Amino acid sequence: MFRKNFLLTLLITLLLAGCVPDALSGAVPASAAITLTDGLGRSVILNEAAKRVVSLAPSNTEILFAIGAGDQVIGRDNFSDYPEAAKGVTDIGSAFEALNTELIVSLKPDLIIAAEVNTPEQVKALEDLGLTVYYLKNPTTLEELYVNIEIVAELTGEDPTKLTDSLKARVTAVDEKIMPLSSRISVFYELDGTDPAKPYTAGAGTFITLLIERAGGYNIASDIEGYPQLSLEQVVAADPAFIILGDSAYGVTPELVSARPGWENLSAVKSGQILPFDDNLVSRPGPRLVDGLEALAKLLRPELFE
Amino acid sequence: MRRPYLSSFIFLLIALLLSLAIGSIFIPPEELWRALIGVTDNETFRTIVWNIRLPRTVLIALVGAALAGSGAAYQGLFRNPLADPYLIGVASGAGLGAVLAMSVQWPYTTLGLLAVPLAAFIASLLTVYLVYIFANVGGTVPTTSLILAGVAFSSFATALTSFLMLRSTGELRRAIGWLLGGVSLIGWDVTLALVPYLLIGLTTLVLNGYALNLLQFGDDQALQMGLNVRRAKFIIIVAASLVTAAAVSFAGIIGFVGLIVPHVVRIWWGVDYRRIIPLSIVVGAGALLLADVLARVVLAPQELPLGIITALAGAPFFLWVLRRAKNQGIW
Repeated sequence: MFRKNFLLTLLITLLLAGCVPDALSGAVPASAAITLTDGLGRSVILNEAAKRVVSLAPSNTEILFAIGAGDQVIGRDNFSDYPEAAKGVTDIGSAFEALNTELIVSLKPDLIIAAEVNTPEQVKALEDLGLTVYYLKNPTTLEELYVNIEIVAELTGEDPTKLTDSLKARVTAVDEKIMPLSSRISVFYELDGTDPAKPYTAGAGTFITLLIERAGGYNIASDIEGYPQLSLEQVVAADPAFIILGDSAYGVTPELVSARPGWENLSAVKSGQILPFDDNLVSRPGPRLVDGLEALAKLLRPELFE
Repeated sequence: MRRPYLSSFIFLLIALLLSLAIGSIFIPPEELWRALIGVTDNETFRTIVWNIRLPRTVLIALVGAALAGSGAAYQGLFRNPLADPYLIGVASGAGLGAVLAMSVQWPYTTLGLLAVPLAAFIASLLTVYLVYIFANVGGTVPTTSLILAGVAFSSFATALTSFLMLRSTGELRRAIGWLLGGVSLIGWDVTLALVPYLLIGLTTLVLNGYALNLLQFGDDQALQMGLNVRRAKFIIIVAASLVTAAAVSFAGIIGFVGLIVPHVVRIWWGVDYRRIIPLSIVVGAGALLLADVLARVVLAPQELPLGIITALAGAPFFLWVLRRAKNQGIW
């Protein structure tokens, strides 16, 4: 009995002396060349432009290659498939399952660029291994996209102006043709139609909605936040002029959609305006968003965009 | 099998070494040894061994020990071979807490990063507390009531969790990954944070081995033999739940270890709980380590969630052990 009490007391004392995870602090070098605050509020300091970069998201990979830093990318996540050259870079795992931290450490990167698909725990885990991580928050407007491109350019010592100027010019070209128009074309953008009675779409606050509206369209789901599941009744009530298949990469074709029970009375189905679309152009927060804008504008107003 | 403690510790040692040796980067054995004892000048190997593999190995060993130890305690307490550490709502409570925490964007601070495991921990203990209160019938806590209340609360919590997961589709993958089990928050601070709870909880359970032996005769008999049944039950439930809640909060919901390891220990080494609990702790640690090695190797370079491997590998293994012990009539 005494032994039990003694042991328990000893253990409780050990518990009180136990440790709590240590604070997140880092030593700051005397003269830092590049100092930035990332999307998580962390201070990121690089002595010089990064030469060995690991990208943890396809959007980051696309930005890196687009600004000319492609040869500095030594590791990329497993969804990064654009541009073609990215496929040849070492695959370091998926942000959704497990990142291959051992491989990342052995590549000895001087910078890791994370995105919102990565969790704060993943960022912390990499930080704990002594690696420098920059968390690039998703842009909510095209202006924020240009800022992100400039941040990545500063981190890697590249000049972003050629890219940003060209992107801005292309967006202006679309705006010039779309702004004067007085009406908007109603669109249903399908993300997942596995259950045809309740398809998933993109709503307010997403880039898909932003680009559809910039391209002169009106997203019928734009009064709901996030990525809601609409009931077929709602789609029928809104009766969109166009159905854009963001899930065409998964084998969904216009014929399959027309054959869905209950869909045959939609105007878009009757007039054959069911359009396959490359979802990567509007879901990766990188320079290809402008490609997506142009593609949407061409689909919605083919007579204005050759 | 003779010499239970020796064989269990050797098993654990082998599992520990395997877990340290296997990873996506091949480290030759001499280099591994040199990195472990600190004489290597290869920075990469040292970081991999000390900052990635070692904390992960220790964490998984601790979680395996926790689950098996509390599973053995629950099986003894409920006198039910189907009892596992999640019986009275720890897992479902933790899942609900974790998914709730995941739907909020926490700031990147020490506390913010601990939000999910902390929420899971608090929610699981809250669930057990509620179950205990509901099962408390005028002072005594009949085990049947505990089980029934546990089932009710678990179903409720699971339903809420599923609902939340469907609502926040952005966090869906993260939630599923957590629920299937696995160690995503590697690092020494996580591992060390777990130690105090496990130390206190598991030691309490080990020390209550004799009480569990007495409880096997039934509450009334145990009372007549001099055991303070109500207090013993309370202590065992608190210790086992604490240990399980801590383990689940950091490693997600890993099933089968808590159910199978105590049975295997019982089949090989008898029904004395003064032995079953400590042996389950050691064997549980080794078993989960082996499962983790499998999880890393089977679909390399991808990593399977631990919860899947324990079920897939554990069930056939258990059936094999069961067949061999067919005639022993242990429970």
